[in-house]
Amino acid sequence: MRNRLMVHGALIAYTVLALFPIALILINSVKTREAIFDDPLALPTMESVTFVGFQKVLASTNFLLYFGNSLIVTMLALFCILLFGAMAAWALSEYRFMGNRVLALFLAFGIMIPIRLGTVSILELMVRLDLVNTLTALVLVYTAQGLPLAVMILSEFMRQVPAELKDAARCDGVGEISIFFKVILPLIRPAMATVAVFTMIPAWNDLWFPLILAPSDRTKTVTLGVQQFIGQYVTDWNSVLAALSLAVIPMLVLYALFSRQLIRGLTAGAVK
Amino acid sequence: MASVSLKELRKSYDGKSDVLAGIDLEIAHGEFVVLVGPSGCGKSTLLRMLCGLESITGGTMRIGERTVNHLPPAERGIAMVFQSYALYPHMTVYQNMAFGLKVAGKDKTAIRQRIGEAAAILKIDHLLERLPRELSGGQRQRVAIGRAIVREPQLFLFDEPLSNLDAALRVQTRLEIAKLHRQLDATIVYVTHDQVEAMTLGDKIVVMHEGHIQQAGSPLDLYQQPRNLFVAGFIGSPKMNFMAGTVLEAHANGVTALLNSGETVHAAVDGSGLRDGEKITLGLRAEHISESRGGSEVFIGEVSVVEHLGEANYIYVSHEGREDVVIRGDGERHVAPGQSITFSAESTAFHVFDEKGEARRRLRPGNMVSATRGLMRSA
Amino acid sequence: MKHEVKIWQLLLFLAPAVLVYGVFSALPLMQTLGQGFFVADDNGRAAFAGLQNFRTVLLDPDWSAGFWNAMVNNAKFFCLHMLLQNPIGLLLATLFSLKGLRGARTYRTLIFLPTLLSVVIIGFIWQLILSPLWGVGEKLMGFAGLAEWFAPWLGEEETALTAISMVSVWQYIGMPMMLIYAALLAVPDEIVEAAHVEGASAMRIFWQIKLPLIYPTLGLVTILTFVANFNAFDLIYSIKGALAGPNYSTDILGTLFYRTFFGYQAQVGNAYLGSAVATLMFLVILAGVGVYFVGVQRRLTRFAL
Repeated sequence: MRNRLMVHGALIAYTVLALFPIALILINSVKTREAIFDDPLALPTMESVTFVGFQKVLASTNFLLYFGNSLIVTMLALFCILLFGAMAAWALSEYRFMGNRVLALFLAFGIMIPIRLGTVSILELMVRLDLVNTLTALVLVYTAQGLPLAVMILSEFMRQVPAELKDAARCDGVGEISIFFKVILPLIRPAMATVAVFTMIPAWNDLWFPLILAPSDRTKTVTLGVQQFIGQYVTDWNSVLAALSLAVIPMLVLYALFSRQLIRGLTAGAVK
Repeated sequence: MASVSLKELRKSYDGKSDVLAGIDLEIAHGEFVVLVGPSGCGKSTLLRMLCGLESITGGTMRIGERTVNHLPPAERGIAMVFQSYALYPHMTVYQNMAFGLKVAGKDKTAIRQRIGEAAAILKIDHLLERLPRELSGGQRQRVAIGRAIVREPQLFLFDEPLSNLDAALRVQTRLEIAKLHRQLDATIVYVTHDQVEAMTLGDKIVVMHEGHIQQAGSPLDLYQQPRNLFVAGFIGSPKMNFMAGTVLEAHANGVTALLNSGETVHAAVDGSGLRDGEKITLGLRAEHISESRGGSEVFIGEVSVVEHLGEANYIYVSHEGREDVVIRGDGERHVAPGQSITFSAESTAFHVFDEKGEARRRLRPGNMVSATRGLMRSA
Repeated sequence: MKHEVKIWQLLLFLAPAVLVYGVFSALPLMQTLGQGFFVADDNGRAAFAGLQNFRTVLLDPDWSAGFWNAMVNNAKFFCLHMLLQNPIGLLLATLFSLKGLRGARTYRTLIFLPTLLSVVIIGFIWQLILSPLWGVGEKLMGFAGLAEWFAPWLGEEETALTAISMVSVWQYIGMPMMLIYAALLAVPDEIVEAAHVEGASAMRIFWQIKLPLIYPTLGLVTILTFVANFNAFDLIYSIKGALAGPNYSTDILGTLFYRTFFGYQAQVGNAYLGSAVATLMFLVILAGVGVYFVGVQRRLTRFAL
């Protein structure tokens, strides 16, 4: 089984490559400055352990606020994407009406063409709507960004719902809106997971729109906050490492809890 | 073409329970052997072990003169036709058939010649440039067989090849496979769950159940002398009638039994070894029953269901103490549900199974015709 | 069965999505495209200027050097991704799909982790690792006996773009890896078994059986990489700032757009020129997508498995 050993060897090597940068940051974020430079690869010992970086970050920035902002924006955008996306997907996949094809194409276009190109006008629009430096602006933009893909994935799934289920409900006199909420939505939960994966990650990690639309301290997201903090304190290694760790740890925790669903959602939607 | 020898073959996935155990089987050169049995009996596993797709946990397997336990599939001299045909979707029919030969390093002329011959036999020469998705199910199946033929293997393996075809095509293809067997003088191992397919195609039928071979023999052997209750119930359509009872008297030249339904029956079966009072099961095939008092053993009952087929009808007769007995009638005599009916059979028509389900040797097993037709022939 | 539905119900279902998407995505895009045809006149108001902005960006010596530099860099960026990200992703996906590989799920989960993290974070982490000040990079190369080859790649003009590209590849490999893995899973077992029975080696099965059957996915991965690369901004901005140094060697279309529109340090922002740059980006991406749909998609028919 020499082949298998080589395979495992290659995979282990790549896994180390994938993980060590993150591990490095985490380890060093709790070491003193001397320890960081003397022996970057060593684990923190009793003497070298320190949380001064974390204290600095939490003291001089509203890190928890940024985190909360990111959470609010991502969750709200996800909710809107799922709800609006499912409704539109349902209408497009279930009903025959004039302009169905055109509308579908219109939405599909948005998958390939990045929304950022319209930033110029989006900013002007936000200014006019007085939404600059609000979380609302971010939610709207991320919803608009995620809808095309969501509609495509969800409508694929909805097409596969057996017609008998829908017809049976109609025979029972259930109205279209109730059918949507009571019959269809529960059935497409796997697809919702896929959509969640594809929309949440870009929204949470985005730098561009928070930078342009909501850069005020009140509305900063974690990504923007960390980026600016690091830009400011670039020589303060403890703080920089602590900031990076703080940005990473929530994701790691979430990933550890939900990795199975996440990957399943990713591969399920991917084959389409 | 080659012979195949399996000795004490064993297969286990987890080291604890055996999926296949104690498989002993000899297949002669040019024989058409059918492995048949219900789902989960191990027939597909055995086929895959022959192929080399499953490893062998114990025992020896010989194909031709060689022990092949550790040889990869390509070196065993076998070719397999998969249930779903497994054609390469992105290659034309020609390329599908050529793939294995290219792997084996044959030159282009040899490849073209072999494919040409196989295509002619299977009548797919006009399809050589098509892709699999452009073919019908029957055509795809022939390409799959063609792919096997061109490799000129010692042993052909078929994994339920007819199960994906509709009924009419199935009968037609069955005939073609039978013809192909003679044309190629091939040794074939064929897996199916359909006992009609097994009976019509096989030189030797191997009935399997729960990982063991229940009985291996010619179709007639299995029909006339099934070795146990399972084989008796599996072979023959409709299923053999079983009647429970106890032994009154048992001798080498006959057994007298008292059925739970009250009748006393005499069966022309070698009863040596049976004790008085022992619980036994009597078996009687629907086609050996006559709708009259003509036979030596007589029964009465009430008609519950009648199924009309045109050339015959199946009459289900119920009576207290036993399960419904099905009679194959000639379809001409008028029978209706609710009627009481008298039916009979000759004592030579019965099978006797002891309390372990093992059969006793029948004294005159030869094919019988329903007594209504008035003829009786012995083996 | 398409059912009879009332108009108001239909509109209810469609309205929210179409409105949000239309107002905040489609309309702005079209407006931006349009705005590229205007300039600010002396009063600061918009005046129609035809193709002037485009001519400026593409041909005017003050601007065009920057534009073409960004374009070439972006193309290099894309090529590096195609050379590294997708083949390695393919390799990893193939390894994952080997039968009976123990721990496959663990490997997958762990290797996918970087893709989830923010580009900003990743950028900084690698900046630290590659920083000559810290010395971690040098030390690690020392393990392989290559300590002398270490250089501050991120800071040097010739190597900065390559270094950043590698960081980007390192992070995003998870996506093609997962997509290709899913496609490999969809190849029916029986076909692989049939090839095995016919004597094909694992290599031959991979190249002649599995790979052709996943061409559509490979095409999809390519176009997704193209769109993502020509839209990229975050990584370069977080490592190098909007100036994309050293000496614009890491400038790509995204950073050029940002700089042109919003201005940076000495350079004043010009919304109209910025729009023109955005339009050009749009055309480049559109061209790529067009090539994909017309040329590639048609030939890579998805074989009915």
